[in-house]
Amino acid sequence: MIGKLVRPMQLLKTAWILPIALLIFLSALVPNSHGAGAVSVRAELSRPEINAGEAAELQINVSGADGAKVPQEIAVEGLQIRLTGQSTQVQMVNFKVTSSAVYSYIVMPQRAGKFTIPSISVQTDQGTMQTRPLTFSVVDSSGAGQPSSAAAPSFPQPGMPGFSQPSRAVRQRSDSPNGGQLAFGEITCSKKTFYAGEMIPVEIRYYFNANYPGVRVTSNVDFGSEGLLVERTPDPKQSQEDRDGIPYLVLTYHTLLSAVKPGPIDIPFVKLQTQVQLPGAVPPGFDAQLIQQMMGGQNPFVQTRDLTVKTAPLHLEVLPLPKEGKPASFAGAVGQFDIDAMVANPKPAPGDPAMLTIKIGGKGNFKAMGAPVLTETDGWRTYPPADKFDSSDALSYEGVKSFDFTLIAQEQKTNSPGSEFSYFDPVAEKYVTLATKPLPLKASPASGAASPTPIAAAQSTPQQGGKPSPTVTAKVGEGEPLSTMTLHSWKTPAQRSEFLIASLGMLLASVSLAGILQFRRYQTQQGSASSRRRRLASLWSSLNSESLDAAASYDAALEYVELLGASENEAELAALTARRDALKYGVGGSVMLAGEERARLIETLRKLPHKA
Amino acid sequence: MMRMRSFLYLLFIGFSFSASLRAAVSDDLFTANQSLSTGHPAEALAAYQSMLDSPDLSKFSSPELWYNRGLAEERSGDAIKASLSYRRALLLDPTLLPAQTRLSSLLASLGIPASKNWTDRLFLMLHPDLFILGGAILGWLGVLLFVFFILSTPRRPGLIVLTLLAVILGHGLTLFGAWNDPRRLATDEAVVTVRNAPTLRETPADSSKADGTLAPGSLVTILSRNGAWWKVSGGAASTGWIPSTAITPLLPAAAGS
Repeated sequence: MIGKLVRPMQLLKTAWILPIALLIFLSALVPNSHGAGAVSVRAELSRPEINAGEAAELQINVSGADGAKVPQEIAVEGLQIRLTGQSTQVQMVNFKVTSSAVYSYIVMPQRAGKFTIPSISVQTDQGTMQTRPLTFSVVDSSGAGQPSSAAAPSFPQPGMPGFSQPSRAVRQRSDSPNGGQLAFGEITCSKKTFYAGEMIPVEIRYYFNANYPGVRVTSNVDFGSEGLLVERTPDPKQSQEDRDGIPYLVLTYHTLLSAVKPGPIDIPFVKLQTQVQLPGAVPPGFDAQLIQQMMGGQNPFVQTRDLTVKTAPLHLEVLPLPKEGKPASFAGAVGQFDIDAMVANPKPAPGDPAMLTIKIGGKGNFKAMGAPVLTETDGWRTYPPADKFDSSDALSYEGVKSFDFTLIAQEQKTNSPGSEFSYFDPVAEKYVTLATKPLPLKASPASGAASPTPIAAAQSTPQQGGKPSPTVTAKVGEGEPLSTMTLHSWKTPAQRSEFLIASLGMLLASVSLAGILQFRRYQTQQGSASSRRRRLASLWSSLNSESLDAAASYDAALEYVELLGASENEAELAALTARRDALKYGVGGSVMLAGEERARLIETLRKLPHKA
Repeated sequence: MMRMRSFLYLLFIGFSFSASLRAAVSDDLFTANQSLSTGHPAEALAAYQSMLDSPDLSKFSSPELWYNRGLAEERSGDAIKASLSYRRALLLDPTLLPAQTRLSSLLASLGIPASKNWTDRLFLMLHPDLFILGGAILGWLGVLLFVFFILSTPRRPGLIVLTLLAVILGHGLTLFGAWNDPRRLATDEAVVTVRNAPTLRETPADSSKADGTLAPGSLVTILSRNGAWWKVSGGAASTGWIPSTAITPLLPAAAGS
């Protein structure tokens, strides 16, 4: 019941939509049903005055017309004005439909001065209309105020569509309704006066108008300055920031600067090559807003252009390191450091080297840092150290640098050498010398070892910079060339096919040997059985042939019984033995055995059980 | 009988090849040694190089020739290449005492600590081939005797156990020698052969972060290859990428073919 009531209510609620839609449809079908005779054309500049190098926006607003035709470019001496886009708006008030179109131009000044943009002819379906002339001032940018003291927005855009002056700077895009710049850069330096060799952290920020999100960085940060050492720039950090109410995408780069030579250094700019996507000109007759809606918010007329963003110039002053008070162990380190030492193997075998590691930690110019100088090296042979740097930040400004010294004892030693390291502290503006004491160890020279060659002597002095010189003008001691020659393979025997073949051969030989032995064993076993059978047959034949005398017959009978199995026929064996002995050692052994006795003997033997 | 004759024939051919090769290079070797002894290391070096480049010495090589070449390089002032030659000589024959002495002295002069484990020390006295071939002979002899004694009558348990021990010991020695043979390990080893200590990089690019240096003449292990950049390890604490031109594989190129 309730369901039946609800449905008519819903129909009543939605029923009004249909006639309204029908009305709109009909009004759209009726030609010139809207605002006939109320066509107006108006031209406006976004700003009446801009700085040289900036851009302004010119809009032509056409209302009350179905369509309009505007010029692609407007010729004004000293200005370049080009159509960049179009938008259309349709409104219905009291069933009266009105439409307005806005045509946007970018105005690029080529020089400073006052300009007049003349009347612009706009062709509409109601006829040709004229805009009012507009005055426009361009102020020389050299005296213009900047967004901040360190900023120098200068944006030459070599490839802006239709502009022939690539070296001119651009700050603003026409599509930015509240003004603002397309991109600019800022550089922040912690100090502008520093010492030669000192590392100065620098921050460079590039701002890109967030209304143009299609920005792509195509190069690394470029300091176009000589006499300046710039560390590798890590990847920038991205953030967003508002300036004068305009949102900007900010790329922040951090790096380190240093200089070798004292004197002034001028950095004209720090530039970044990028590509930006700018809205391109909409072909006449297209509604930019409509097309953008159809493309899902994407502007199909986007043009990608190269854009170089630069910072303001920066003046730096490089001071020379003071000559007075420079320690002998100073090797170019500038910063703030501490020192530590350790021996990796305090009890090396006689003749083996000990490894002394000196660790320099802190912040400063680690790359230019020379090795510490070893002290108290008597009785040691030392070599230039190998170094390794473990950085604790991305810029390699802070960290620990280890120097590994190889030490070979020339005599019995109980302490390692000490070390000394000097650096210049730019904060305290003075040289500082750090030292480590000799560390306890037990090292002795090799007993009976070959005396050190002159090579070692030539290398025994540690070198600055920790870079060993491998070129050794050697004078070889007793090394004489060998006149005999043996041949060896580069491969181990196990890697060679011959070894594998030989191993397989041995395996085969073992299997063959096993087979042969097994076969022989079988043959032997089989052979003894058959010979036993043959002997039994021979004895049986002799006993029956009456060719044997009495003693020999009993001998044969005894052997026959033994072959059949002595243990199983013990009683017969004893009886036969007794009779044989009686015949052999008594009387009648040499005569032929009587027929009865022979028959009895053979019968006895026949009854004996056979061995299996 | 026929098989025995064939085996002896093969042995004879192998010996003849070795003898003829030795005879062929003996004159050149004598001349090169003369050049070196009379203070002309460059000429000697060229002669040794020519002998080592001989196609006959591709799979086989002479540790004495590599040692002599090392001497020539050392006397020419190229300590790094000399260290490589000595290493190669010791690769072929770890018991070659003159090469051991020269390499130790050279590495000390370059400031490179000589790290030797117990197997290295063992192979300085006994050639790994001795373990591999001797072990194989003992092992297979043990197998044959084991088979013989286990199938013969009467069985003698003492001899069977003894032969079984010979099998285990012999093949164990073979496995030990083959596994620890420096030539097997050398397939992934190289020597830093540039004069300026190359910088280890975190990634295979010049712009990558530096992570220490490698001493010229030092031995490194090649971990992986990426075009012109090779990842190497110079010890527990030093691993990184360096240009492949900075190092030379310990095994000569011809040895791998």
